[in-house]
Amino acid sequence: MLTGLRTAKLLLVQISGIVGLIVLWQFWVAARGLNTIVLPGPMSVVLQLLNEPAVYFWNGLHTLALALAGLALGTLLGTTVAVVAWSSRLFEGILTPLGLIFSSVPIVALIPVIARILGYDVRTELAIVILISFFPLFVFTLKGLKALPPGASDLFQTLGATKRQHLAWLALPASLPSWLTGFRIAAPHAVLAAIVAEFLMGTSGLGHVLEGARSDLQMQRALAASLSATVISVTFFLLSAVLEQRLLRNR
Amino acid sequence: MQRAGTSIRLNHVSKSFSIGRKTVAAVDAVDLTIEAGEFVSFIGPSGCGKSTILRMVAALEAPTAGQVTIGDLPPSEMAQHHRLGVAFQDHALLPWLTVRKNVELPFRIASRPVNDQQIDQLLNLVGLSEFDRARPKQLSGGMRQRASIARALILQPDVLLLDEPFGALDQVTRRHLNIELQNIWARNAITTILITHSVDEALFLSDRVVVLSGRPGRVVKVLPVPFGRPRSPSVMRDPLFHQLADDLTESLEGYVGSEEP
Repeated sequence: MLTGLRTAKLLLVQISGIVGLIVLWQFWVAARGLNTIVLPGPMSVVLQLLNEPAVYFWNGLHTLALALAGLALGTLLGTTVAVVAWSSRLFEGILTPLGLIFSSVPIVALIPVIARILGYDVRTELAIVILISFFPLFVFTLKGLKALPPGASDLFQTLGATKRQHLAWLALPASLPSWLTGFRIAAPHAVLAAIVAEFLMGTSGLGHVLEGARSDLQMQRALAASLSATVISVTFFLLSAVLEQRLLRNR
Repeated sequence: MQRAGTSIRLNHVSKSFSIGRKTVAAVDAVDLTIEAGEFVSFIGPSGCGKSTILRMVAALEAPTAGQVTIGDLPPSEMAQHHRLGVAFQDHALLPWLTVRKNVELPFRIASRPVNDQQIDQLLNLVGLSEFDRARPKQLSGGMRQRASIARALILQPDVLLLDEPFGALDQVTRRHLNIELQNIWARNAITTILITHSVDEALFLSDRVVVLSGRPGRVVKVLPVPFGRPRSPSVMRDPLFHQLADDLTESLEGYVGSEEP
């Protein structure tokens, strides 16, 4: 009962910030008398969304699929490369600076390069999302693989564990909390990367809608696309947070 | 069962570490044989290299000079054959596994089928039957050490190596676990090395107590403990026990000052 009440209260506090922002937005538009080309009010954005639900739904689905596929492949790749780096000091020495460089290059600068190699289509979009998801998973998995409980490494040595057993029974389970942190960071970034890729490559998806709306000065459309993207992004974040809570419940 | 069949030989073993440009001698020319089925404790001032001796026997460090052999084999081979049982001061239980799964771990590492009956027996022996599905963080410090000792014993190792397993526990719990360990050990005398700070603990549990000097660790005294087995806690009230404890404390105190160079 009490916890229910407390949760409701907390939710209210959290939502109040968002509601406040929307009220401020509406107030600002009304007070300054801005027209819809500069900044439409929140109501007109919602109306736009309800007017053409199919546009936002199908393009949103495209963005969602792209982000999910890229995140899944990036996670797989990041985790695998981290394990390879863990397994040998040489690989770690080679891979860590490479990962660092790739993460520091702005995504916008990478897109033309990748597009030259893979072509101006969905393959490049996917490659970008993979690249963006890869880095947090690589870094956090590698960190987690080394965050062992005290004495555990000595224990495994005295038990005569092989390198593979070290990985399967000790390092991988030990890395789970850190891996989940990496995943939670990568998930919303994957959505952002998908939208930026769509925006620049322009085939379909919310990023494409955004780009089209921008060039036609349709601010309602642009904001409605942004709103849809935000919903996807927040959902990704919340789902990964739930996943984290579930998997670490017993720790 | 070829229980109690393995002796440990420390053949003029020395170990030094390089710290920066300096070389620090931790253990100096320790020459000692621990007989099959014997319980030997090492006591000494902190930093005297007693843990280093255990780590060499446990295949965690290699001696700089001399050899360690267990039976006829070097410790690393004993480890590969899963013949070492080791318990550390920081229990080293895996926090994501239940107590039972932690005790099972050596079976998994040795790629042997898990013997549930044996695990039940051992958990019962260390008084953790009711807690087999608990996680380490749900246990008290004493219970964690019990689980860690159960894990060390599960494969019926040739030697048992205990590195201050009760060092972080309060006096009452510690005494309790000493009595329990003595009972467990009395069932099948397994060659055991115990590293400890506690003179009472060493006397109560051991067949011989080895006193080490301050850094570098040298053997200054080997005291055979005259009490028979199995020992009841009443041994600790024996006047002879107190006298031996005083003697050991005295031989230790001679080296307290030697920690500073």
